[in-house]
Amino acid sequence: MKQKITGGRIIGTVLVTLFAVLCVLPLLYMVAVSFTDSESLYIKLKDLRPNLSNYVYAITKRNFGLALKNSVITVVGSCLLVDVVSSMAAYGFEKKPVPGKETLFQGYIATMMIPGQVILIPMFMMMNRAHLSNTFAALILPMVGAFGIFLMRQFMVAVPNELLEAAEIDGCGEIRRFVTIVIPLVQPALITLTVFTFNAAWNNFLWPLIINTRSEMAVLPVTMSTLSSNSTTNYGMVMAGATLTFLFPFILYIFLQKQFVEGIALGGVKG
Amino acid sequence: MSTSLSAGKRMSSRRRRQALIGAAYILPSFALMFIFNISPIFLSIFYSFTKYDMTAAPVWVGFENYIKLSQNKYLGMVLSNTVRYVLITVPIQTTLALLIAAFIAGFLKNRYGSFLRSVIFIPVIASLIASATVWDVLYKPDGGLINQFLALLGVSQPINFLGKKPTALPSVAVVSIWKSTGYYMVIYYAGIMNEPAEVQEAAIVDGASSAQRFWYITLPILRPITYMIVTLGIIGSFQVFDLVYKMTGGGPGRATLTVAYMIYSYAFQDKRMGYACALAVGLLIVILLIHLIQTLFFKERDA
Repeated sequence: MKQKITGGRIIGTVLVTLFAVLCVLPLLYMVAVSFTDSESLYIKLKDLRPNLSNYVYAITKRNFGLALKNSVITVVGSCLLVDVVSSMAAYGFEKKPVPGKETLFQGYIATMMIPGQVILIPMFMMMNRAHLSNTFAALILPMVGAFGIFLMRQFMVAVPNELLEAAEIDGCGEIRRFVTIVIPLVQPALITLTVFTFNAAWNNFLWPLIINTRSEMAVLPVTMSTLSSNSTTNYGMVMAGATLTFLFPFILYIFLQKQFVEGIALGGVKG
Repeated sequence: MSTSLSAGKRMSSRRRRQALIGAAYILPSFALMFIFNISPIFLSIFYSFTKYDMTAAPVWVGFENYIKLSQNKYLGMVLSNTVRYVLITVPIQTTLALLIAAFIAGFLKNRYGSFLRSVIFIPVIASLIASATVWDVLYKPDGGLINQFLALLGVSQPINFLGKKPTALPSVAVVSIWKSTGYYMVIYYAGIMNEPAEVQEAAIVDGASSAQRFWYITLPILRPITYMIVTLGIIGSFQVFDLVYKMTGGGPGRATLTVAYMIYSYAFQDKRMGYACALAVGLLIVILLIHLIQTLFFKERDA
């Protein structure tokens, strides 16, 4: 259908464009300030020159190097664990005649309605009792959730049973069937789940804040939160830290935009 | 007869084997889900009836925590903060997301439209702590970008957005709107794209204007999504933590205190684990009620 260029359409386009600018302006400002060595916020254009000193300072003097390493380890560990455990469980739920599986599955689904604050305190006590505070295990193990299993199961439905039976008749073993037939078929869902888990683990704040209290075990958002923004703060360094925290998801977003939007959108709809 | 019986036996032994293999596939998830997702719910309920500071053993106190909670003078304040937060964020982010999604779907179905969608989604991927840090600086009374802009407009006195009671909560809410509009826009956009094209085409043939089509076709079709977005917005408002932690610490004068922040500070600053658990259980009940109302509302509408 042919749309005529109307005044309303032009005004709408301008307004949506303006909103898009407002969406990125704070982030552009963050990047701009991270490159200045001005201690006041009255930034002049002449202060803006490629200057990595804030980054060097944040990484070497304010623990950001270590936090970056901790975040990367946590995220990689979380993605691996969630992918493996979720796709295994989804396969068991969808393709195997396990008695009582639907009841258990409904139980999993019900946990998605539980707010995080409810499980936080007992989880904190358990981790302490198991001497797992200030470890990566404390950050990674709780990342497995019902959403990933639910998402993977929806894709397992599309894996044809005949294909699995034919492979079995051909003498293809149980584990080989799972790894070489099922996993490649659900790969798009695995990528979406990985992106979702990446984002959740990377941005996780409250749990790492309370469970990993030693600064050597802090992840990026926690280290970020310790940079106080009082009057003596070096704003450039604070913004460099914020930029570092933002950079990794942003790079991933540029390359995997579709999966990123899908992973985050599906994750929120879970409720 | 005997052969079919043994075949049946073989089948059931095969089935049993398959069931065992299936259980083995499910087991890792069950162990993790049970330890970290399911048992803590019941433990929270248990601890909510105890007094526990994590040094001595928990002491059973019955309903004492709940009674104290009902007399907590800050709880009313927190609830009114939450209601205000919902009233600011939910209508604005829902309306903005809907209008932007509908406009792009209707008039900008081209590369520029998809570019705009990508850009508007960017705040969604930023972590709340990084966002809070940036907005904290933007809000600064001494030279923050927003006050610099207001000065250009002729506002002589810089506004201490996060430091003054009337502005603190709306200022935090703005960050929340900034961060979530793109997210809801994507959900609405997907909903509009799923709309059957024939209905729109028939309406065009009948001479319906684009405003009429939006009001009478798109909006009713999107109603389930709107319910969901409003529910998510309400539930999210009880759980605001990161923004408040980084930007205001619940202040000034508890003007930005949320339920989630209250639970955190009772449990991990005051070490009143039992009391904090009682508050968490209260939160759980409220959230389950919201889910229930939404489900009932849905059923009524569908019937």
